[in-house]
Parts: sequence; structure tokens; C-alpha cells
Amino acid sequence: MQRSKIFVKKTKKGSVLKVVREHYLRDDIWCGSKTCDVCLQQAAILEESPELESNLCRQPHYIVTDTNVVLHQMDILEVPVIKNVIILQTVLEEVRHRSAPAYKRIKDILTIRDKHFYTFTNEHHKDTYVERQPGESANDRNDRAIRMATSWYQEHLDIKIVLVTDDMENREKAKKDGITAYTVSEYVKSLSDSPELMDKLALRTSDKTTGGKAKFPEHLPLSEIQRGIKSGNYMQGSFQASRDNYLEANVSVHGSEKFDMVLIQGSHNLNRAVHGDVVAIQLLSESEWSCPSSLVLTETEKEEEEDTPNKENILKEKKSQVPKQPTGKVVGIIKRNWRQYCGILQPSLIKESTKHLFIPTERRIHKIRIETRQAKTLEGQRIIVCIDSWPRNSRYPLGHFVRALGAVGDKATENEVLLLEHDVPHTPFSQSVLSCLPEMPWRITEEDSKRRMDLRHLDICSVDPPGCTDIDDALHCRELDDGNVEVGVHIADVSHFIRPGTAIDKEAAKRGTTVYLIDKRIDMVPELLSSNLCSLRCKEDRLAFSVLWVLSQEAKIIDVKFTKSIICSRVSLTYAEAQMIIDDKNRTDTIAKSLRGLNRLAKLLKKQRIESGALTLASPEVRFHIDSETHDPIDVQSKELRDTNSMVEEFMLLANISVAEEIFREFPNCAMLRRHPEPPPSNFEPIIKAAQSKGLQLNVDTGKDLAVSLNDAQLADNPYFNTMLRILTTRCMMQALYFCSGMLPEADFKHYGLATPIYTHFTSPIRRYSDVIVHRLLAVSIGADASYPELTEKKKTHALCFNLNFRHRMAQYAGRASVGLHTQLFFKTRVIDEDGYVLFVRKNALHVLIPKYGLEGMVFLTDEKKRSPFTYDEQESIQRCGDVEIGVFDHVVVQVSIDRSNVQHQKLVLRLVQPEIPGFSVPSSGPPSAKKMKMDTS
Amino acid sequence: MVNIRADGRSCEDYRHMELETDVVSNTSGSARIRLANTDILVGVKAELAIPASDRPDEGRIEFFVDCSANATPKFEGRGGEEFATEISNILSRAYDNQGSLNLKDLCVIPKQQCWVLYVDVMVLECGGNVFDVVSFAVKAALHNTRIPNITVHADDNGRTELELSDDPYDCKRVDVHKTPSIVTVSKIGHFHVVDASMEEEACCLARLMLGITEQSTVTAIKKEGSGSLDPESIYDMMETGKRVGQAVNATLYQKLQEEEKLGPNKRKAGFLG
Repeated sequence: MQRSKIFVKKTKKGSVLKVVREHYLRDDIWCGSKTCDVCLQQAAILEESPELESNLCRQPHYIVTDTNVVLHQMDILEVPVIKNVIILQTVLEEVRHRSAPAYKRIKDILTIRDKHFYTFTNEHHKDTYVERQPGESANDRNDRAIRMATSWYQEHLDIKIVLVTDDMENREKAKKDGITAYTVSEYVKSLSDSPELMDKLALRTSDKTTGGKAKFPEHLPLSEIQRGIKSGNYMQGSFQASRDNYLEANVSVHGSEKFDMVLIQGSHNLNRAVHGDVVAIQLLSESEWSCPSSLVLTETEKEEEEDTPNKENILKEKKSQVPKQPTGKVVGIIKRNWRQYCGILQPSLIKESTKHLFIPTERRIHKIRIETRQAKTLEGQRIIVCIDSWPRNSRYPLGHFVRALGAVGDKATENEVLLLEHDVPHTPFSQSVLSCLPEMPWRITEEDSKRRMDLRHLDICSVDPPGCTDIDDALHCRELDDGNVEVGVHIADVSHFIRPGTAIDKEAAKRGTTVYLIDKRIDMVPELLSSNLCSLRCKEDRLAFSVLWVLSQEAKIIDVKFTKSIICSRVSLTYAEAQMIIDDKNRTDTIAKSLRGLNRLAKLLKKQRIESGALTLASPEVRFHIDSETHDPIDVQSKELRDTNSMVEEFMLLANISVAEEIFREFPNCAMLRRHPEPPPSNFEPIIKAAQSKGLQLNVDTGKDLAVSLNDAQLADNPYFNTMLRILTTRCMMQALYFCSGMLPEADFKHYGLATPIYTHFTSPIRRYSDVIVHRLLAVSIGADASYPELTEKKKTHALCFNLNFRHRMAQYAGRASVGLHTQLFFKTRVIDEDGYVLFVRKNALHVLIPKYGLEGMVFLTDEKKRSPFTYDEQESIQRCGDVEIGVFDHVVVQVSIDRSNVQHQKLVLRLVQPEIPGFSVPSSGPPSAKKMKMDTS
Repeated sequence: MVNIRADGRSCEDYRHMELETDVVSNTSGSARIRLANTDILVGVKAELAIPASDRPDEGRIEFFVDCSANATPKFEGRGGEEFATEISNILSRAYDNQGSLNLKDLCVIPKQQCWVLYVDVMVLECGGNVFDVVSFAVKAALHNTRIPNITVHADDNGRTELELSDDPYDCKRVDVHKTPSIVTVSKIGHFHVVDASMEEEACCLARLMLGITEQSTVTAIKKEGSGSLDPESIYDMMETGKRVGQAVNATLYQKLQEEEKLGPNKRKAGFLG
């Protein structure tokens, strides 16, 4: 039987199309139940006697759901107890249309055999197909189709069918048709054996149904927003909540030249937007514009309604001196980007209460109100919670409990939390990925050796940090007869193993980068490749992609050649070992000569680079000594930098630049490059101001000027000053980004930090996917490999860059978070006084950096009653108390400890020790630890 | 003088006709008519376009005729083209007046957007009296045409946005109450006959094609054939045409109404029946 589905649609060009789809109805679609002997099905999925006990429906029954239940109550459906559910095709298609992640999840459930979920293709069944009637909306038709299928089942089977829907109208119509229908919460409540399910119930309350005073303005409907954006009344942007102040946020506006960042202040203006949402904003009139407050505000636990206006008033305090920023308010939400959040439960003060607050780990996310009866067991655990809705009358978003991760403070749990929070894909590699790996034992085939240059006769060695197993670069250097020097950089040939389009390629492209945590590495490619076949281990033949230069004695490039090669590294060195070989005058073997040659050239290269304006920046980096048994950190050291570090770095830079030039020449439209935009002058304002306070002038006109003035900025009484200035300068910088050469004018290719007109990443293909792509491009350009369509497609490369930039940033954040976690573990058993330096002065706090641990934190200057012995001088950003003045860069001594007052939420606390402020600073608990750290001020 | 023709009809009788509408689902409206061996299929497509500059607040109707090479041996190669142009010309002329179609109704935004009705005529088989049958089929197809309703939103800057209703039943119709049909009056000897059969066409020297509405308004007139007509007989032929045209239009309209009353569940004959 044939029906046609007819609908009209508007095309992008604006013309109207009538679309006709043929739709065939069949009589051979089976019900999927084991009890049925009419249908000729092979393997029925629905069980003969479903066991789920419900108070409402004591007979065995199957469940039919509507679309909204699948969309919003997925966490319930995923629970193992819920079985024998019929998912109608109508529902499935609507879910697919509305939410891709939800569709994926329901598809996953459908494949689990034990769940007994059955898809009934009701749209094609001759008895359950319904046609849309005149005047009926698409939703009403779907609801009718669901009821139709439910009644068909009821007549077809002896087993009872229960329709679960939260739509009141649908439920009433169902009851008229003689169908048993319940709301989700009614039904879940009735499952007497599994009370814990109630926790997973998504709290969805529409604005209309709940009472109470509305605390927020209404959101505009989407159609109105779109019209407003078109007319320019509203602007669209992504909402970025402030880390330090929960009543403040920025919206980065898409596609507006005039305003790129708009400030939003106060809970009314923030209007229930959550970090990451795409929102529509309206600018306030210029007289209402404001500037970011320098206050650090966190949502406190006991805070009540009346408290909020006060705080908002503080925010609004007139600050005439500071230039005002464009300020706006959120008028509507275009797209919610809610995800699952990790965090801890803050149990309600009232015992026996089921309503609790959830405190997310991410500080930019509001607390979430959830309902749970397992508060006792969840206390002290890291849990995952989902936001369901945020009605106008609720101070907090409403959510539900998803799952528990493990005890707070447990390292495995905390690692999991930080991987989840940074969206790092960390599941083990799937079978399809692993099946792409070459078979072991792996050998270089004849084919390979024919096409590659054999460089096994060269004395190549690798220099890496200690304990490195994914060695992706090796070097050599030898004198040529004509007085020039040949230098080779040999990079693991990962693109030989990862072929385009394979499962392993897709997985690597998705992961984008290897993520390094303190005690864990999340590989981009499976270990067999990263630590064995691709790793350029010593005394083993390995495939490589080599860059060979002929350099003059003055380190000028005379010739450069790229080739796929076979190499055999003589020795794998650590930076320290390499340094020792260079310094050991007795060693005259080829490796030692080679290293000395490299070192000499590297110094020349570095000098050239710095002369052309490259910046030397600093960021506090630390190394933990981990106890081999407890895996707890026992000591912290800042990373030492030797000549050899910079030696390897120089040649990697040189290789990257040479490769970038080559691939850009061959593929002007689709080369994957890396750029570092010059920061706008306004970015430098804080450091210029900070340096001025110490009587120093910084010139930031060009990179070169900045580099020079940074070098000159020294303070005799503060040896750490220069490093701090560099740390602060680092924060003024823009993010370096991957991009596709065809998407930007050539002038924008510049790498500001390295002061080179073009740059890319070529040297670490084991841990970065960008390098894999660059390898492929280079291989095509030298004729060593075939191209494939996606490689030269500008749009594809652009999309890939977007993902790589995101993963890269997340990996960085995850790494930093891991350091933070270990720092916290380290201080678990310690209370130490340390030297620190003030990075910023805030209105009620000092932002202090402790170089020894690379640790940053706030020293709050207020006590519990919000009184401060200090007065804040905003103009000069100085905190004064009597004769004591504390400003930027000043040395302080702080006591570092863990605040355990809240068992669940331990946090690092800094207290002022020096300068002594009677009644405020804490007494010294012993001298700062004896080991003086080496400070890198170069 | 006996008012009887070779096949038993009187001079003002049409032969039996079979009519079905909504035969091509991906058009906005369609109809097919078979009369003797003449088989005509008409599809109407409504599309958005910019109004003509001299008529900024009106939509348009455009005719395109395609003579299938299978229709008659004469159409082989490019043979049908001239004939097709002839048909589309007379249709355009017959419809080109203020009274027959309310083209203002087809305007969406004056000077910016309007509906254009593209009327595609397929001559599937040629068995005589093609002009008349084509015009009936066009009328039936227009009657069957459904144009999606469009709401126009205007923002403050005067830019407009069209929004299409998502309900496929939410659409407007074309009023065919005053649209013309073509009645061809053939002069055979001293007689004026309508709906000439192939034999009658062969021995007819002059004929008059008249675009006539149900209200007996003549919207177009064209003389064809090698013979000449004196003014007196032209006048007579017009009178005949008016009489027949009024009746045939009324019958057609009534039948279309009847068919529509059958609703969506009517049995469709389509092309297999």
C-alpha cells in the first residue's frame, strides 16, 4: 500500500518547494513480543513476562514512551531495571531531529540485549499509520500516532501496555481511548523496588505550572530573537561566565565589528544563562555601562535572597576613573550548551530533606538544585549531574543526579573528573581502531626501503626529558668537506602507519592531541605506535621523515631537503645526559661532536631569532617527585632548563619553519599552519601599568621592542621581578592557533611569539594530529605519498583546525588542572610558609604566585565578617594597612595549607605571614623550606 | 436541415470526456482529460518570483506546451513545436485579461514577491480538438491548485521575511469561476459544429477558436484554416460558441466540485486505469 507524504519547504534561495515522498505501508511488521504467536518474528525482543514491579500496574506490562520522555529522561531509560520498552519509530525520528546526542544514546540502548528495548516501525505499519489531518499540528499528529500504536499493541497482545508521557493533553486523550497512561514521575515513583530511580528523574517544570515569585525576566521566543538580531537590536554571542565572580560574565559577540566583548552584570541581566550557552543580548544605554568589578565573589552557602541585592549594589558602585565597557543584558537563549557536570553534593541543612544543592567543580557553573534520597551515601563522593531546566522562579537551575564517580580526593576519581571536565576523550581505543595497527612482529619491508633514503649510517641521537617513551624527534649533525655543516632533524613517520580515512585516523583526528597529566598520559594513538613502532628508540631501525639542511658555519641555510627515510638512532639521551656529553672534554666520539656542533649552531640560531624580535616568555612549570608506592607527590621542583633543551627546541623550530614554507608553496590554499596573532595594544595595559608602578617603562609597539624592554626590566632588590613580568606578559598574549592557509590573508600568518612570518607543527606527530596532516601535505609535495580529497579541501581543513584548537586548549587546561590536583595532594599533609609574589591586587584579595610550586591563589583580605584591615587604592592598585603597602610584584610570605573545615570540599588556603599585620597575618610556622629554588631569569 | 452528425451527435454536442485531477503529486495542481483519442495532462507549479515592473502588485500565469512525439506521427522530430507555440499563444491570450483570474491575489509583497503559476501542458495523444481539451484541462488543474499560505514579517528596517506555514493543509485556492475555455467552432459546409472529430477536421476549411468564460465573455478569438469567413457567419459562429462555452464551462465546474466532494479517499485512476 502506498501513501505519499507531502510537505512544502522553503529553500535557502527563498523559493518554495513542494516535496513528495512515497511512503509504503506494510503488513509484515511484527510486534516484537515473545508472547505473540500471530507475528512471524524470528527473535522477539520483548520478554514474555516482564518483571518490573509497579504499584500502579501490578500486571506484567510493556512501556511505550513519547518523544519528550526519551529526550529528557534518558538517564531513567538507561537504568538497567527499566526493560521492555517499545520505542516507536515516530519517537525515534523526532529524537533524531531534535537532538543528536540523545539519538545516539537511545540507539546505544537499543543495541543492549538485556534491556529488551524494541523499535516498532509504526509509521510503516498498515494499521498504525496516521495521516496528518487538516488543522492538526505536526506534534499533535505524532502524539496521535503514538496513541494509535499503543492501542494497536493493546489489542494485539494480552500483556498490558503503559504509555508514559508528561504531556497532560496527550495523557487525557489516551485515557479516553482506553490507554493506561502515566507521567514519568508517577510511574517511576510506583517502582517500589528501585527508589533510587527518583534521583535520576529530570526536573522539568514549565514556567506556568509552578507558583512562587518570578526571580528572572522572561526569555524571548526564538522567532523574536531572530528578528531582533536581523534588525540589529539584539546581538548573538557565546556566554562566558567569570571565574571569579558569579554575578559577572562576558559575551563574545559573533559577527559584530563594533563590540566583540560585552559585559553582563547582576543576576537579573545574566538572566539564567549558563557558561557556554549561545545567548541573545541587548546593549544597555551608555549611561548604564559599567566595568568589571575587581571583587572576587563566590556563591556562599548560607546566602539568602536579601543578600543578593546588596552584592549587586557593590557591583554597581560608581567607578568614574576606570573606562567603562559596553554592558548588556541577556534577553533570550539561542542554544543551551548544557552538558554533564562533575562536582559534589552540598547536603541540605534540613535532615531528611531530599532537595540538595550540587556544587560543580567548574567555577563558572552555578550551583544546581537536585533531588536525591541518597544524600548520605553521596556525601564525600564526586558525582555527575545534569541540568534539566531553569524556571523563572528558581534561584538555581534544576537538575538530576546521573552517576557517582568515586570518593573525593581519591586520585583516580579526581583524574576522571578533570578528564571529563575538559572533555578529553579517554576511553580505551575501540576494536576497530586497534585492528588498524600493523601486525607484530613488525619489520621494514623491502618496498619501504626501496622508496626511502637509507640514513642508518648516520650517527643520529635523540634528546628528550627523562622517562619519555614517545620519542618523536632525533637529530644529527656532521661537517661537510666544503666547510659547511649538514644538520638533520628526523621525525617519526606516523603518517606511514595512520592512513587517511581509517578508524585509527578518525580517532586520532577526534582526540587531536595526547594529553599529559602528572601521573598519566592519554594517548592520541594506541601505545604500540606511540611507544614502540613510531617512537625513535635507540638501536632500532625506524621509519622517519627527515629534514636535511646544509648550513653555513654562521647557521645560514644554504639548502634544505625533505625526504622519507630509515634511521637507526645510536642513543636516546636525556637533556642532562646530553649536556654532560657536551661538557665532557674527554669525549671526542661522533655523538659528542655532533651534539657540540648542534649546540653551537643552536646558539647562533637563537641569537638570530631574538634579534628579529622573538619573545622569551616564562610560565611557572613544575615537576613532581612521585612516591613510587603511594603515588603521592613527595616533592615539587620547578623544571630546570639546560642548554640542550633550547638546542633541541631551536632545531625543531627551524624544521617547522622550513616545512611551513614548503607546504605553503605547494598548497597555498589548504596548508595547515599555526599562527600567533599580535595582541591588541590594550592587552598590554595591565603590565605597562604594573611596570610603571616600579618606575619602569615597557615599550610594546612591536615584538622586538617588547623583547628588548623585557630584557632591560630588572630590579636590583627583586631578582624574581623579571620572570614575573614575563609571566604576566605571557597572559597578555593571544592563543596560538592552527588555521588553514586559504582562510586568511598571508599577512595574518605571522607567529608573533617566535617572530617568524610563517610557522607550523611538524615535529611531534605522535602526540599531535596537526603534525600528521602536515606530514601528509609534505609527503604529497615531495611526491612520496598520494593525496586524498579531504586533504586539499579548504573547508574540511578549517573544521579540523577548529577541533584541534579546542582539543589543544582543553589538553592544556587539563594538564594545568592535574598540576593543581597534585599540588593539593602534596599539601594534604603539610602546612608550609612560602615566598610568594603579588601578581594582581584585587579589591578584597591579593592574587599571589608561589614560584616554588608554580602555585597561584588568592589571599583574601577580609575576615568572616567581611571586614578588612586594608584599604584599597584603586588608582595605584595598592592595598594599604597602616604603614604597610602591598602592590603588584611585591614579595610576601604566605602560609599554604588545606582547609578541611568542609570534608567534601577541601581547598588550598593561603594566609598572609609577612608583612606582619597585627590581628590579621598568621604567625610563621617555620622558615620557608630550606631548598632555595633556582630561578630562571634569562 | 437535420441536426445530426456522422457519429450521431448534434452540432453543438461534445464527445464523452474523462477527467481526473490531482494526478501528479509533486505539482501544486494537476489534471488529465481524455476526449476520444486526445489525451492531455496539465500540471501547475506555483513558484515565488519578482513581479513584473509594469504590474507590481500582481502575480503571473505562464503557459508552456509540450507536444509529446508519441502524440501523433506529425510531431516527430521538432514537428510539434509550432503546434505547441500555437496552443500556448492562444491560452496566454485567452487568460490575458483582468476578469478571468484575480492575479492581485497572487501577489505576496508588492514589487518584491509574487506567485507565478507555471502551467505545463503535455499533449500525450492527439486525436482532434486539442485546443478545447487543453483549455478544459488547464481549468481543471488550476481548480486543483493549492498555493501554500505565506505570512510576511516585516522588521523595523523595512526588510521582510517570508514564513511558510508548516501545515500542508494551510493553503489558498485559485478561483476558476471566470476562467475561459476554448471552444473551437468549425464551419463545415453551412453548418457550425463544435468538437470536430478527426474526419470533420479533415474536411473543414475554416474554424474559429473562441476563449469563452462561463459568463459568456469572449476573451480571445482566432480564425484558422485556409477558407474564408464572411462577417455574418463569424457573428453566427460566435453566438454558437458563446452558447456552447457557457454550458461546457458550467458543466466542467460542476464536475470539478463533485470530484472534490469525494475527498481524499476517492479511488484514483491515474495512468494505470
